[in-house]
Amino acid sequence: MNRRDFIKTASLLPAAAAVSVLPQFALSAFAAAAKWRVFEVTTKVGVLKPAGTSRVWLPLPLAGDTDYQKNLGSTWNVEGGTAAVVNDGKYGAEMLYFEAAASDKVPAVRMTSRFATIDRAVDLSKPGSGSKADRADLQRYLASTELIPTDGIVRDTAREIIKSAGSSDVEKARAIYEWIVENTFRDPKTRGCGVGDIKYLLESKNLGGKCADLNALFVGLARAVGIPARDIYGVRVAKSEFGYRSLGVGTDNITRAQHCRAEFHSAAYGWIPVDPADVRKVVLEEKGGGVLLPLDDAQVKAARVKLFGAWEMNWLAFNTAHDVALPKSAHGKIGFLMYPQAETTAGRFDSLDPDNFRYEMTVQELTSL
Amino acid sequence: MYFRLCASRCRLISVGAWRTGSLLAVLLAASGAVSAQELKPWNGGTTPVLELADPGGQRHRLSDYRGKVVLVNFWTTWCEPCRDEMPSMQRLKSRFAGKPFVVLAVNVGESEARIAEFLQKLPLEFTILRDHSSAAMRVWRVRGLPASFVIGMDGRIRYAHTGEMNWDDEKLINTLAGLLR
Repeated sequence: MNRRDFIKTASLLPAAAAVSVLPQFALSAFAAAAKWRVFEVTTKVGVLKPAGTSRVWLPLPLAGDTDYQKNLGSTWNVEGGTAAVVNDGKYGAEMLYFEAAASDKVPAVRMTSRFATIDRAVDLSKPGSGSKADRADLQRYLASTELIPTDGIVRDTAREIIKSAGSSDVEKARAIYEWIVENTFRDPKTRGCGVGDIKYLLESKNLGGKCADLNALFVGLARAVGIPARDIYGVRVAKSEFGYRSLGVGTDNITRAQHCRAEFHSAAYGWIPVDPADVRKVVLEEKGGGVLLPLDDAQVKAARVKLFGAWEMNWLAFNTAHDVALPKSAHGKIGFLMYPQAETTAGRFDSLDPDNFRYEMTVQELTSL
Repeated sequence: MYFRLCASRCRLISVGAWRTGSLLAVLLAASGAVSAQELKPWNGGTTPVLELADPGGQRHRLSDYRGKVVLVNFWTTWCEPCRDEMPSMQRLKSRFAGKPFVVLAVNVGESEARIAEFLQKLPLEFTILRDHSSAAMRVWRVRGLPASFVIGMDGRIRYAHTGEMNWDDEKLINTLAGLLR
């Protein structure tokens, strides 16, 4: 079946019709299975072609603990340089910054981080107990960024999407979520996780990309209609325990397992996790062999329900930062910090080319501490 | 936040800036061989509370050590630089034997069995405390391990450092000795 069958670009589906046919999701089953898991991720970097001063930035786990992730500490070893914890100065995104002066040796850094995660779900069938989010924090997640504008075509598209949605923030966010599931597609030709230029996505009417594109589109559309929303950049660390081959990583090598998710804020419930990009990943990759699953496939339907309001935490969250100015970098901002970054006086490295950079990320789950 | 480079074989050191009501300590770490170092003065604000139990179950409060200089060191068995600096911490304690100097080594997140196994291989004569839930690590805003805080006799943090430290260093010892007067 051609993926274009699933793509509606100029005409927008009423979201209410899509929601009504979805099966009920057994939140209790998901929540009952939840238990804390502990992981250790090791990142090794070697600057293979040092030229002048070498600089490396490695994203660290979320600085603050949440109800779904706890930071258990990081440690590092360096060769030929020095290392420091720095942050982006705006979103609190922490990173290990490594610097090495010119020398004959290959500058290298090895960082190990331990963290604990637990599956996360918000029961939207029950009344919320209200949000305690900080007002200034929420304002930050309403603002536009360089790649996520909230005016023009983004605002117009969002307004059109929510026209037939209910009046609550959850209903509007759901309408946006369903629209993305219905109208976008995961493009296997997209490098890495994508760029996240949502204006380009909408203007080109080519709504294909990967998680950093499709979840950023959710974030931008939500912000454009006054719903605080944010991307959370991270990396998958384990296979899915819920039977989705495409939604986990099956080896201990997670060098290319980066994944971005999203959240929106509801006045009644606080931050609510979503991941429409992963629904499209199930469509494209779950069956394998290039076979696309239709949206009415049982597995796709179940994922679609689950990923509005819940995340399986086989994933490590790094940060929510956009337009990141890497401290001491000689180059411009990056859209987001999800991959190791490096530069020398010869220029910035390609963070999507780990073999030549070079970096490797591995994970192990710890059964005892 | 800001940071500055120290001597060439050393580490970047940051001086944390306090935000309202919280300890914002951005401590920087490097491991590997360490030579002459300086403990940098702390200007990160109020000293957090520390109250933890040792493996025997006895509770220790940092406030109980008022009148002594205390080295609070956050560590884990899986942290190589943590393990590497412990022998020099032991020698430091011996150096100040008979003086009002205490080492509180706070293990983060590990089981009693894991700690006991480690101590069998590396017997240490200073106080080990268990921060099993990592709550103390969060309150002290420890991000890198090992993390060391030197507390003066008045109970306030005087110096902080993240990363392996050579506790045999004479300049460092003189700095600590200065607090004991």
